[in-house]
Amino acid sequence: MENETPDKPASKKPIFIICLSFIIVFIICYSIMMLLGPGRKLAAIKSEYGFVQDKKNKTDERIISDSAYLALLKERSFLQSRIAMAATDSIYLAISFPDSVISLEISGVTVHTTKILKSKSSRILKRNEFEILSMLARPFTITNNYASIKKEPLMIKMAPKDTSEFQPDIIPDTADFEPVNFILQTDIGTRIIVYQEEKIRYGDGIRLFMFDLWFRIKDTLRSIKSVMLFRIPEYHPSIRLRIHRSDAKIIYRALPEHGQIGVYM
Amino acid sequence: MPVMEDEKKYDEIPEAKEVNPVNPDHENEIFRKIRLQVREVINNKKYAGILNRVFVGSLIFIAVLFLFVFFIYIIPALQKIPSGGKIIVTSSSELKKEADYKRQMTLITRDIQRLSRKYSSYTSGQSYLVINTTDNQFYLYRNKKLIREGFCSSGSYKMLKTEEGRSWIFKTPKGKFWIQGKTTNPSWRRPDWSFVEEGSPIPSQNDPSRYEYGVLGDYALALGDGYLIHGTLYKRFLGMPVTHGCVRLNDDDLKAIFNNLSIGSKVYIF
Repeated sequence: MENETPDKPASKKPIFIICLSFIIVFIICYSIMMLLGPGRKLAAIKSEYGFVQDKKNKTDERIISDSAYLALLKERSFLQSRIAMAATDSIYLAISFPDSVISLEISGVTVHTTKILKSKSSRILKRNEFEILSMLARPFTITNNYASIKKEPLMIKMAPKDTSEFQPDIIPDTADFEPVNFILQTDIGTRIIVYQEEKIRYGDGIRLFMFDLWFRIKDTLRSIKSVMLFRIPEYHPSIRLRIHRSDAKIIYRALPEHGQIGVYM
Repeated sequence: MPVMEDEKKYDEIPEAKEVNPVNPDHENEIFRKIRLQVREVINNKKYAGILNRVFVGSLIFIAVLFLFVFFIYIIPALQKIPSGGKIIVTSSSELKKEADYKRQMTLITRDIQRLSRKYSSYTSGQSYLVINTTDNQFYLYRNKKLIREGFCSSGSYKMLKTEEGRSWIFKTPKGKFWIQGKTTNPSWRRPDWSFVEEGSPIPSQNDPSRYEYGVLGDYALALGDGYLIHGTLYKRFLGMPVTHGCVRLNDDDLKAIFNNLSIGSKVYIF
């Protein structure tokens, strides 16, 4: 009996070492695969939107790396994207970084404009390259959204059985202070992240931190799942914008579930 | 007999004397006491076990926290490090002199001008109305200039449900609409939900109880599908989401809009 007790820690040691090795190997694999993501995304963009020589009207390939030409190409891409969106009768968003402005538009008519107070974009989107600008010539379509407020704040009311049960509607409480932060996932993998700039109530900063953290956790879990299946996790370039709370609310509520977004970098 | 030894050590400690706090002898005495206490804790198996567990626990906590931060923040930050090769952007003066370059620049400039013209043609020079349902405000434009703005009331986002399973959602539709009809002194033909909401029995389609006069103000502009822009008796609710989907305005704003918008004029609701 006396001999059994000292054996226990010794048997635990190899298990601990195996677990630790597995964790270390997983961390290394995860890091490598995650870091391969942006390069893979860029390669995918380049293969899809790369320069194709027109046989009839040949272009000197040196032109597509000329700064003046690229500046005009940027402008044209944004216009093309806006025109494509205006062709629908739906509400869409136009983000212009040179003007620091976000516009909500319907069929080419600007119905609401707001100033971008702070912005940060992934480097991949800032690349002044023909392929990226060609990609921006096509509007992004929202595929998914994650927000701190409801898109349609529906309230369910049961109909009274007879007139004696009828109660007139009370005046709605319009003094809402709920934080407005939302993330729009688009079809080409880019994310538009919009956070309110103001901290109206005590704890708004913590609420924003928790909102951001929760989204990051969800995203990380998706990536871990991909790595476990030996797939490189999809990289999502992002555009982070800080605007006024009231404007963020208007934009989020106005945009349809599968609305479109045009970006002028 | 470690306990006995400890007791012996305690016995060796001289009794505390009333001394000056700045006295170095007193300081030494305090340090000695602390050292003895620490030694006692270390030599005590129970305390040592607790200390060991606290230490291992802290190490595990720090490791888990580091892994969490690593996965959540560090790796996404590292992904932002530029990759995919160097971007070659040139600005060669020789290239700019070439005929092909000039031709391409002219082509793209013309393209931009054409697209700009096309885009600005979308905004009508005629009068149009913009309604913001989040803030319950309206904006009336003429010749691309804002001529009037004010408060309105839009859909309440209430869902009325009956026990029989019927339901209605009271929201103002969003998007592009146009004025399909204009009426002065409109009467309201009450839909089924209006009776259901009050708990009244639903009358037949042409029952006289369905018709109400003077509740929609002096004018009404139809947007289609039964949605109207009309006046209201409940002016204190303007600026709030209280309607069943129609857009309510005060009398003066309604008159201005009625006079400025004609059939076919566009209404943009967002």
